Amino acid sequence: MTGAAWLLRRLVASVAIVFAVVTFVFILIHVAPGRPCPENVDRAVCDELTRQFGLDKSLPEQYVRYLVALAHGNMGNSYANGRPVGTAIAGTIPFTLQLAGAALVLDFLLGLGLGIYQAVRVNRLPDVVLGNVTLFIYSLPTFWLALLLLLVFGEKLRWFPVGGASDPILCPVVNSLYCVVDRLWHTVLPAATLGLVGAAGTARFQRAAMLEVARQDYVRTARAKGLPERRVVLRHQLRNALLTFVTRFGLAFPFLLTGAVLIETIFAWPGMGRLAFDAILLRDYPVVTGTALIASVVVVAGNLLTDILLGLADPRLRVRATTDVEAVTA
Amino acid sequence: MLSAMQRRSFPSLTVFLILGVAGLAACERRGGCTGANCGTIIDAAVAEPGTLLPPSSEDIVANDIGEQLFLKLADVGMSENTLGDEDFQPLLAQKWEWDGPLTLVFHLDPRARWHDGQPVTAADVEFTFNAYNDSVVASPYRPKLHRIASVTQRDSLTAVFRFREQYPEMFYDAVYHMRILPAHKLRPVPRDQWRTAPFGREPVGDGPYRFVRWQPAQSIELVADSTFFLGRPAIRRLIWRFTPNLQVAVQQVIADQADVREQLVTPENVERVRAAKQLAVYTYRGNVYTFLSFNQRAPDDTTKPHPIFADREVRRALAMAVDRASMLKSALGDLAKVPPGPMSALLWIWDPDIRQLPYDTAQANRVLNARGWRDHDGDGVRDKDGQPLAFHILFPTTSVLRRQYALLLQEQFRAIGVRAEIDAVEGAVVNQRVGTGKYDTAILSRANDPSPSSGIAQSWTRAGFGGSNFGRYYNAEFERLVDRAVTATTRDRARPTWRAAMETLNADAPGIFLYALDNYAAVHKRVDNVQFRPDSWAALLRTWRIPPDKLIDRDRVER
Repeated sequence: MTGAAWLLRRLVASVAIVFAVVTFVFILIHVAPGRPCPENVDRAVCDELTRQFGLDKSLPEQYVRYLVALAHGNMGNSYANGRPVGTAIAGTIPFTLQLAGAALVLDFLLGLGLGIYQAVRVNRLPDVVLGNVTLFIYSLPTFWLALLLLLVFGEKLRWFPVGGASDPILCPVVNSLYCVVDRLWHTVLPAATLGLVGAAGTARFQRAAMLEVARQDYVRTARAKGLPERRVVLRHQLRNALLTFVTRFGLAFPFLLTGAVLIETIFAWPGMGRLAFDAILLRDYPVVTGTALIASVVVVAGNLLTDILLGLADPRLRVRATTDVEAVTA
Repeated sequence: MLSAMQRRSFPSLTVFLILGVAGLAACERRGGCTGANCGTIIDAAVAEPGTLLPPSSEDIVANDIGEQLFLKLADVGMSENTLGDEDFQPLLAQKWEWDGPLTLVFHLDPRARWHDGQPVTAADVEFTFNAYNDSVVASPYRPKLHRIASVTQRDSLTAVFRFREQYPEMFYDAVYHMRILPAHKLRPVPRDQWRTAPFGREPVGDGPYRFVRWQPAQSIELVADSTFFLGRPAIRRLIWRFTPNLQVAVQQVIADQADVREQLVTPENVERVRAAKQLAVYTYRGNVYTFLSFNQRAPDDTTKPHPIFADREVRRALAMAVDRASMLKSALGDLAKVPPGPMSALLWIWDPDIRQLPYDTAQANRVLNARGWRDHDGDGVRDKDGQPLAFHILFPTTSVLRRQYALLLQEQFRAIGVRAEIDAVEGAVVNQRVGTGKYDTAILSRANDPSPSSGIAQSWTRAGFGGSNFGRYYNAEFERLVDRAVTATTRDRARPTWRAAMETLNADAPGIFLYALDNYAAVHKRVDNVQFRPDSWAALLRTWRIPPDKLIDRDRVER
């Protein structure tokens, strides 16, 4: 099977997965208890709203209507605020990407660096200390770390803003260099919360991968040839240990999307996670389904990207994948 | 390749560059406003409104912002009087008079203008009433207007209200529930599309502040209307900053990143705010009370009586088993009071001398024994005909306070041999289960407007069946007393009747009235003339001011 055929097959499977997720979420949120009515609202008012939202129709009819609208690029309107779901989600994606991007950079730069450093100094004091520190951070609940960072660096030291994505007076919109810096300034604490926990995990995986590779013959050969240690580590050991890194990179997408729900809520970050969280609480069905759709697309795309990157990084995997597919189809 | 020296200096260079860029960027801070009409107030709000279209929004923040954007014809004064028109403050209506017992005539202030320059007319008033009354708009305020028969325009500045009957709160009903809408903006929008109409997110009002921008999930900004016909507001800019977590909202005011948090809710928050040197703490009467509702109908078949709570004596015993005063002290300290009935501290009928069931566990035990609820099998839980005296307490997971109360109640019921299990579920699920009668007991909160009439009737009489009287409490004597109280023309005449009504209800124990919060607010000390009207803290924001010598950076910013 050619690479193009493999890719096409994966794309078709990805569409099927997204469709299944949307269907599952649609049914789940509609059969979950609770109605999209504000608290203490009169029952007659609630009934009228229910009718206007089309919730008086049968579930299959609602589902078909949703799919038809979706096929026309219409994800419906939010019950809570009337905005088109597509617009609401589009407004949050830059914020989520900004936060996830910053967290990913911190996660992988710090995690990779620490993992390599620990592997090079394996079983020595720095390795032991860092191992325990990363284990401690990895075990921390993210919400707890978030509250701690807010308390220390926001409230007590006042080094960073307490929540929000920008200064509401000076930078309601990003229109200057100051506002770019302001936006980054607001990103520090939420990104640090997500990134630190991620980096702790990445460091542990990377250390293990480095040590695994260190036992390989080609690494011993490189040392025996008298290559400088830096070159052995960076060229021979790290390069081959990067497969773990690439795999974790793909898996980080769902983590950042799901982990960000809590972090976006605590830090009042206007991202997709917070939108989804609020929508679930309000039983805002179109927004819940819309965010699930986008999240599943991102996760599936992340996994696809990982597979492609792994194939590029390690030709053996390409061969294996092709052979496996051929074996299955034979 | 970098030399060792260069390698060592690389991180320092990076830090230097970052600081340099940040420093340069910081130089862009703009400032300049001076004088009495500068000032910015940032409110740390814990919820974001769905829409700013008044008839479609009942949430608190939408109301706070609506106070600044849309005027009523008149509004209650600081006395919160709702009988007759005493102490009502003119807003859009310059004056009013009665034209017979059922006809109220408002004369609009000819200076009033919409923010797009159009005059506010009687046609707007007529349009507003019709919109609020349209079932398609599904306004939560519609039930409160049912005694107004019609609103018409006599001329462009005269609106005429006709009532179905005569009662003391006619004026209050005419002015309090409706914010006047711009007919020229909303008439072209089909009513069934109002909830999705762009107007709700970019409103054109007639109030002291104009809408500037709404950054979803971040903030809403308003700016003072310097031509406002009742006088230019002293604070130039108002910003509601949305933070979906109370603790973080409180942190924002403590860290000097917001100026107002209007409800601190917990004793810990009040203490933290008191320790912040730039903040002042203000108190005002709260408009919410919280109670344990007993459902008198069976959860699985609401046509049948509840096997436990249909029995008045059992309800009374359970009420007597609860030490509300010590629970309050333990959970809320001095931040709340035990309500003497179904009322918040906002209501003028509040009277601590209203007779209530005493805390008396011995009596509670005797009553339960007498009703046949005894621990026959020795398992520590009373039972009768093989059924244990056990039930569920429902409350929303998001409320820490109600969770605390649920645990305290569970413990107090356990002490008299009653098993209470805790059901913590999402708010939407609580609403649905309570609304459909599928619960045993639930810890619920009710917000009062300044009038006891509509709220108490809706929640505790037959008028609220299928509505807010979730526990389906009914007592003919109580309803007779309420009917009499709401027709009294003065507070002095109404008070004894309300008291008798509350004592009748308390004796029936349709619920256990747990706490009525006093509101504690944090406000930046540079703000002067801070006044909170208890039913709506933001109603008088336009009178707050920041003296020129107390302006800080965010007050001076020009854009």
